[in-house]
Amino acid sequence: MKRTGVFVCHCGINIAGTVDVKKVSEELSKHSGVVHAEDYIYACSDPGQNIIIDAIKEKKLDNVVIACCSPNLHETTFRNAAKTAGLNEFQCEIANIREQCSWVHKDMEKATDKAIKLTRSAVQRVRRNEPLEPISVPVTRRALVIGGGIAGIQSALDLANTGFEVILVEREPSIGGHMIQLSETFPTLDCSQCIMTPKMVEVSKHPKIKLMTYSEVQEISGYVGNFKVKILKKPTYVYADKCTLCDECTKVCPVAVPDEFNLGLTARRAIYIPFPQAIPATFTLDIKNCPGLLPIACGKCTDVCEPGAIDYDMKPEIVEEEVGAIIVATGYDLYEKELLTEYGYGKYPDVLDGLQFERLLSASGPTMGKVLRPSDHKEPKEVVFIQCAGSRDPELHCAYCSKICCMYTAKHAMLYKHHVPDGQAYIFYIDIRSGGKDYEEFVQRAVEDDGVLYLRGKVSKVFEDKGKIKVWGVDTLAGKDIEIDADMVVLATAMRPSKGADELARKLKIAMDKDGFLAEAHPKLKPLESVTSGMFLAGAAQAPKDIPEAVAQASGAAGKAISILSQERLYHAPTVAEVNVNLCTGCGMCVQVCPYDSLSLKDGKVEVNEVLCEGCGTCSATCLRAAIQVKNMTPLQVNEMIKAALGG
Amino acid sequence: MAEEFEPKIVAFLCKWCSSAGSDLAGVSRMQYPPNVIPITVMCSGSVSPLYIFSAFNKGADGVLVSGCHPGDCHYIKGNFYARRRIALVKKLLEYVGLEPERFQMSWISAAEGVKYTKVIKDFVQELKPLGPQKKLRRTQ
Amino acid sequence: MVNLEELKKEASQILKEGKVKYIIGFQRGSNGLLPVPAFIKNPKDVEKLVWDPTCVYNLTLFLQDEKRKKTKEKEPDERPVGIVVKGCDSRAINVLLQEEFIKRDDVYVLGVSCENTGVLDEKKLAKKLKGKKAKKVEFGANDDFVITTEDGNIKIAAQEVLAERCLECKAHFPVIYDVLIGEKTKRNVENPFKSLEKIESLPPEERWKFWKEQIEKCIRCYACRSVCPMCYCDECVADTINFVVTPDTSAEEKAQKIKWLEKSPVSSENFVYHFVRAIHLAGRCIDCGECERVCPLDIPVRFLNKKLEKEAKELFDYDVGFDPDKPSLVSSFKDDDPEDFIR
Repeated sequence: MKRTGVFVCHCGINIAGTVDVKKVSEELSKHSGVVHAEDYIYACSDPGQNIIIDAIKEKKLDNVVIACCSPNLHETTFRNAAKTAGLNEFQCEIANIREQCSWVHKDMEKATDKAIKLTRSAVQRVRRNEPLEPISVPVTRRALVIGGGIAGIQSALDLANTGFEVILVEREPSIGGHMIQLSETFPTLDCSQCIMTPKMVEVSKHPKIKLMTYSEVQEISGYVGNFKVKILKKPTYVYADKCTLCDECTKVCPVAVPDEFNLGLTARRAIYIPFPQAIPATFTLDIKNCPGLLPIACGKCTDVCEPGAIDYDMKPEIVEEEVGAIIVATGYDLYEKELLTEYGYGKYPDVLDGLQFERLLSASGPTMGKVLRPSDHKEPKEVVFIQCAGSRDPELHCAYCSKICCMYTAKHAMLYKHHVPDGQAYIFYIDIRSGGKDYEEFVQRAVEDDGVLYLRGKVSKVFEDKGKIKVWGVDTLAGKDIEIDADMVVLATAMRPSKGADELARKLKIAMDKDGFLAEAHPKLKPLESVTSGMFLAGAAQAPKDIPEAVAQASGAAGKAISILSQERLYHAPTVAEVNVNLCTGCGMCVQVCPYDSLSLKDGKVEVNEVLCEGCGTCSATCLRAAIQVKNMTPLQVNEMIKAALGG
Repeated sequence: MAEEFEPKIVAFLCKWCSSAGSDLAGVSRMQYPPNVIPITVMCSGSVSPLYIFSAFNKGADGVLVSGCHPGDCHYIKGNFYARRRIALVKKLLEYVGLEPERFQMSWISAAEGVKYTKVIKDFVQELKPLGPQKKLRRTQ
Repeated sequence: MVNLEELKKEASQILKEGKVKYIIGFQRGSNGLLPVPAFIKNPKDVEKLVWDPTCVYNLTLFLQDEKRKKTKEKEPDERPVGIVVKGCDSRAINVLLQEEFIKRDDVYVLGVSCENTGVLDEKKLAKKLKGKKAKKVEFGANDDFVITTEDGNIKIAAQEVLAERCLECKAHFPVIYDVLIGEKTKRNVENPFKSLEKIESLPPEERWKFWKEQIEKCIRCYACRSVCPMCYCDECVADTINFVVTPDTSAEEKAQKIKWLEKSPVSSENFVYHFVRAIHLAGRCIDCGECERVCPLDIPVRFLNKKLEKEAKELFDYDVGFDPDKPSLVSSFKDDDPEDFIR
């Protein structure tokens, strides 16, 4: 018979105030196999731990149960104590009699009875725990960063500057993301391109960074420390090393399509460079819009390309890489035009979204920094900005707050006034959320120095009327209906997870939240980690955030990745699935349900890849033959725990 | 008057959401009846139908299975399998005439201490008028 | 119309060609109306084969023995086994394929059509004949059965004497086969779960009374388990009597056996057994009705399986035994599976 010790913690009066700890200890001492039971005021204190260690040694205990607070708090403490006394860490289990008992009940008798059952249940479990050692695996000391916006760039640079090799994958022809599209940035009004391009150049020149633009992650397998990644390199049909950027090709290309970089405010050719400072600095042939790769169909660009940089025969390529950690920085997109029709967005050319307005403000933009209406190129004298366009609207659109819109709208209005001093800017808002260093002061500047008119209320209708855009709204502070004959309307459109992020999340096996943003492992304590170990989140892919926050998270994620890559070996929890081959019939149902592909069939029996297994136990509930179970949480243990819980 | 009937309930809580939610209820000092003995499992997907049958067989007046909200599963999709499996078990138990109130499932996230409290309170309230579960309980 | 001669010819040919090891089919028994299984190796013996409405058994059960035998052989004969299957039985083949219990090459499927009718319920027939003894039952031409008694032939509309499950059948002809004998008939079944309505419509307490009465009768002879082609586990979790002990079985493993239920055949323990059986057959039971037919106490066990078949269909749009490449009911899910029962 195994010898069990039980230690009941008072936690001052936190437990002892509602649970009769003496009685718990007394009752447990009568439990079969329990050879030692005592209570102590603070089991987690040094003397408390010493009591446990001494008892293990003196009473030759095989296992111990500590009835105390939640295992999330002191499980490690007590397991380490058990280890010090010569036990395996799994020979120590916690009965949570504080969060799940003393703190939530008042009736001492009933709470004590429940604490006894909880502790007995833990005793029944620990007696059947196997001693296990962590599983150790070597680490591939390279990282993959997915997404080449500011977050991805920051993570890649931090990793590379620490000395680790980085593969930076970006699906567009150039890195830079949305930040490179911005004009100036709040609250300092730094020119976005001026602070972004040095980082982009640093990426392109960094010896430790392998930049893969126009590429997408296709497949991922493996586990923390050892991922295998297949990356699809889409053909650009242009050799970057041969291209001299002479721009002759775009002069002959007969195609004109909306330019993504200027959000459709201008057009581009089928062969194009996204913007002058693009990294890598080369042209890309957009096959979807090219009349045909056969010289018969067009072929004009190859004819004029003197260095012969254009190759119609370029094929997609699959590159395989091995990495130890992955940072996902896939960023955001704006809420789809089609879903936000109430403000005339997509219908009237002078109703713009925030990013389009950024391009109008930008010195390198389609109007060379002049604010002009897309419809007639006239200077707008009355501009209405509508905040929360698609955000904070659980009935029709996104329930969440897109967080950055209050600030950038203030910036937009301010910059508009700098461009058109005799114009008037109106902002419809629900609340102004300006938490952040110097943010509130910035909003005040817009109001006080630049005379931006803030109207608290919602816009009910936007429609075209005699060359103007009529905006009907309400000022709830004044209690008045408002009607503005605007020349331009700018929507602070909601931020959404970038298109395709859901598909990528499924490939990576990381979770998404209800809005499709990538889910962090813990909302407070693990904001950088995804639910899959070894994969970290950076930037707006996780939630709407502004540049400083995205950069901070990116550096944090890089730090987290470095904490993996700097190890020789990694350790993995050994509470993994095990197969009873005698009972396995090889039906493969467990293989189908395993979220981690850790199970496979070999010779008609299931095999566990212990490094991939996270021990969730879905396999064991699926198996009809009880042929697979998770170590230290076996059906036998659960059965005993149920018995104890019901007082049997 | 006889003492009020106090139902015995076994709750299988997934470690990452529902058990954490019950911890939050504790940290926030929310009060709920002490009738539930939680058993923390790794994932709601690991709750075998046998656990449920066995709990009723061992005299549980009610059984609760609680996991992460769909899409929030720490193991990505364990709760989806649980949802399907538990639906079948529930249909089966009700088909033979077990009171539907006795077997319940809930989604409780780590942030939903309030919801955990409510689920437990409601559960106990609904079980009290039913009296002890004698249908499936071992008689010997 | 199923031509028995065609079946015999096909059987004889595949045996002669050595395409199959042997053929599992039906032959006349020496006692009673029902046939017995035939295991035919010699082409000459194909003459014994029969196919008529008395062929109620699901012969795929014998694939279990075949598999066990094969795993023990050092140099097993890798040729397939020929097997005669009805529509329902063929769905069992699909489930066994789905669970990789057998491979497609392990069986040569001789599918026979139920000719728009099905198989016989012996008890219904006995009632109909009022003491007269049936010697032979054959498919008639007009969805009826031709019954030979000592007083000569009578025709009875098949609907009146069909097994309950045949009235709710989803596949009157095999859904998987190598050769098909007979026509691909399709009879419209309005409600494949009609028989459940009676129990389902009872108020809960009446339902409990009904099931308690039924399940209490169970003597745990496990005939329902033994006859089920899907109950092929080496060891049943509900009862460890068959626990496979090999030289590798450690003492610890033996100690790890869980007693989920007591062996004594009392209501509470019987319920656990029947729950486990039902839930383990969810998405796997193809309603061959054998469990109910063999029950010595006439417990309507089929209604437990049928109920879960219905739920699988209604909740998850899952049909059992039509696609061997689909994942099983409980090892798959849809994002929008119903969850109105969840708080």
